[in-house]
Amino acid sequence: MIRYWFPLGVLALWAVAAITGGWVVDSANQIDLQRILMRPGDLGLMGYDDLGRPILQRIWVGAQVSLLVSFGVVSLSLLIGTAVGLCAGYQGGWLDLILVRIMDVFLAFPGILLAIALAGVMGPGVDNLIIALSAVGWVGFARLTRGQVLSLKQRDHVTAAVALGTPRHLILLRHLLPLLSAPLIVEATFGMAGMVIAEAGLSFLGLGIQPPDASWGSLIRDGASYMLMAPHMVLAPGVAIMLVVLSLNMLGDRLRDRLDHRSHS
Amino acid sequence: MPRGGLLTALLLSCLLIGGCQEQETEVIRMGLANAPLNLDPRFATDATSERVNRLLYQRLVEFDPNSMPKPGIANWQAITPVHYRFTLNDQAGVFGNGEKLNARDVVTTYRQVLDPALGSPKQASLELIASMEVIDEQRVDFHLKRPDPLFPAYLTLDILPAEQIERAHDFAREPVGSGAFDLIAWPQTGELHLQRRSDGQVFQLIAVNNPTVRALKLLRNEIDLLQNDLSPELIGYLRRQPALRVEQQPGSNYSYIGFNLQDPLTGELEVRQAIAHAIDRQAIIRWVMQGAARQAESLFPPEHWASYQLTSHEYNPEKARKLLAELGYSDSKPLRLTYKTSSDPFRIRLATVIQSQLKAVGIEIDLRSYDWGTFFGDIKQGNFQLYSLSWVGIRTPDIYRDIFASDALPPSGANRGRYVSNTVDQLLNRAEQTDKLSTQAELYHQIAAELHRDLPYIPLWYEDQLSAQGSRISGYQLMSDGNYDGLAEVKLKRALDGDHVQSTTAN
Repeated sequence: MIRYWFPLGVLALWAVAAITGGWVVDSANQIDLQRILMRPGDLGLMGYDDLGRPILQRIWVGAQVSLLVSFGVVSLSLLIGTAVGLCAGYQGGWLDLILVRIMDVFLAFPGILLAIALAGVMGPGVDNLIIALSAVGWVGFARLTRGQVLSLKQRDHVTAAVALGTPRHLILLRHLLPLLSAPLIVEATFGMAGMVIAEAGLSFLGLGIQPPDASWGSLIRDGASYMLMAPHMVLAPGVAIMLVVLSLNMLGDRLRDRLDHRSHS
Repeated sequence: MPRGGLLTALLLSCLLIGGCQEQETEVIRMGLANAPLNLDPRFATDATSERVNRLLYQRLVEFDPNSMPKPGIANWQAITPVHYRFTLNDQAGVFGNGEKLNARDVVTTYRQVLDPALGSPKQASLELIASMEVIDEQRVDFHLKRPDPLFPAYLTLDILPAEQIERAHDFAREPVGSGAFDLIAWPQTGELHLQRRSDGQVFQLIAVNNPTVRALKLLRNEIDLLQNDLSPELIGYLRRQPALRVEQQPGSNYSYIGFNLQDPLTGELEVRQAIAHAIDRQAIIRWVMQGAARQAESLFPPEHWASYQLTSHEYNPEKARKLLAELGYSDSKPLRLTYKTSSDPFRIRLATVIQSQLKAVGIEIDLRSYDWGTFFGDIKQGNFQLYSLSWVGIRTPDIYRDIFASDALPPSGANRGRYVSNTVDQLLNRAEQTDKLSTQAELYHQIAAELHRDLPYIPLWYEDQLSAQGSRISGYQLMSDGNYDGLAEVKLKRALDGDHVQSTTAN
């Protein structure tokens, strides 16, 4: 049972923290010089940072950025990737050829490097971070969709729909998309895990959220300078990222097992 | 391979490895935050290059603890207020090319730097010199355009050999000096090998940018010594390590908040006063800097001969609020200002603390951190409301002209806040025209008092100098301006042990 409850529990906590993050912004940014680098203990559950701000509250607020970016990037990538994949796979011909080549060009770059370059050019900020990560995130969804469409469009019910003169957009929406949703959901779950790490990575490099706002990556960046004196500054956000990514991956695995009809047969 | 040959090869390689290790341990390694960029003293402007150049070259004049000029390799005599005679003393050394430093080297070096065609950044500070002449091997005469009792204090150029200058030698990569050290190798940008002339001790200066990595290298004995550019917490951590020795001494580098006086908001004296009363410098020094700084009231620290004790703009948030209220600001209509700083994490941290202290009195600060080039470019162009920076290595009060004279706007000067005051201009002119140092000091006190009133800068603090030394070395003396002169005296403890072992074996 823990196979489901652990990931769902952690992700529910993440979502609740993200939704309620706005309530603790003031206390998360409250500087108290006398509590600088105070270790976890009586006063603060996760200790205090280099400006005496409570780390628990900062992780709480950081959850908002983390969820917003990963959800935003995956939604945008899913939308663009599915649309491109459907067009390429169903239409075929020269359109497929061009779109596949474009995907190949994007795949030729290491994804995170391209995102770093884009975020660097566009400047820091959550909106730019979402655009930069989506620019590399859509390709995975497009390839998956195209591959599925190429096999699904040969199926009898699609051939029947074509023979009956069903308009193309209805074939795509009613006969192909429902069959595609299972692998896409699984891919989106894994994608979210990847984006949580990518957002933390870009924020660690200073390309994400700007001070004094907190994100998990920027918390680790701030803490890296104090690793010898105050390891809790790195460990606390590090454990938060690990738990969320682990839970997303576990959930992705469970969903794949459940949605893949072959494993039930 | 026959067995004998294999054994010999093994033995040889063991000996070779042993030999290498022995040689390695005899080197003293110092960790630097940045690599030196240019070892040609005519062009070097970054702090690390200047500090390394001090080891490689010699200067006519040095400074005593009160920042008064004292003889370096030459003694001087003012024949008239505009005519100085410098006589080389027995401190003048021998260049790496074997030639002894003489009067011709001095004049050639100064003429080179004064030549506009060379484009040396150090030319401006020497424009007072009208002409120079070599009297003999040991004596040089300097003739000035106008009297200045501080003139000897400006002669801090590192002396280069005339012969090499005339042959357009590349000093930037292959320095030839007469200082206490010779550069023996520069295998890569961030690694210099120096040899001390007095005893042949080899030093490696290794650039390690990340402070944590630098501290870890010290703990693992990969380096023996490091100085400054560490967070106060890291210094505290190193202090707790039994194998290390951490030294701290008051420094003279002056940190401040600068204002743009042409800006409609920061141009108001009451706004600057409110900010001065809203910043709790004592709390920042105590908690953020862990006591590793002294509160500043003026450009020069108390031990400087031109310093002047001024009453502090005390921390008084109520007074700050009152001043803001008089200007019509309140919590519902807060004063909004933009504060620029460099992207150095410690500077951002300090700026964030100041931002929160100003917020407490109702000033909303938009904090912007930029890479050094962008930040410094904006400051020089006057594209700011307030910013924080430090003056490093200032010795002589003629710096007041460069920073606060109305005709010293960038690029010709460093009056970045566009401060204009007739009183200060007149005092500066009078200070320059007087030929008595005591009168000059009195005038500089008046200038300091005037600036304290007008607040083009809010003085913050003088950061302490800190060094951490490993257990292998002893005798490193920390300098108040952070130079590396202490390397001339530092000794390797293991070398002493080695000598002892050798002599015991011989017995």
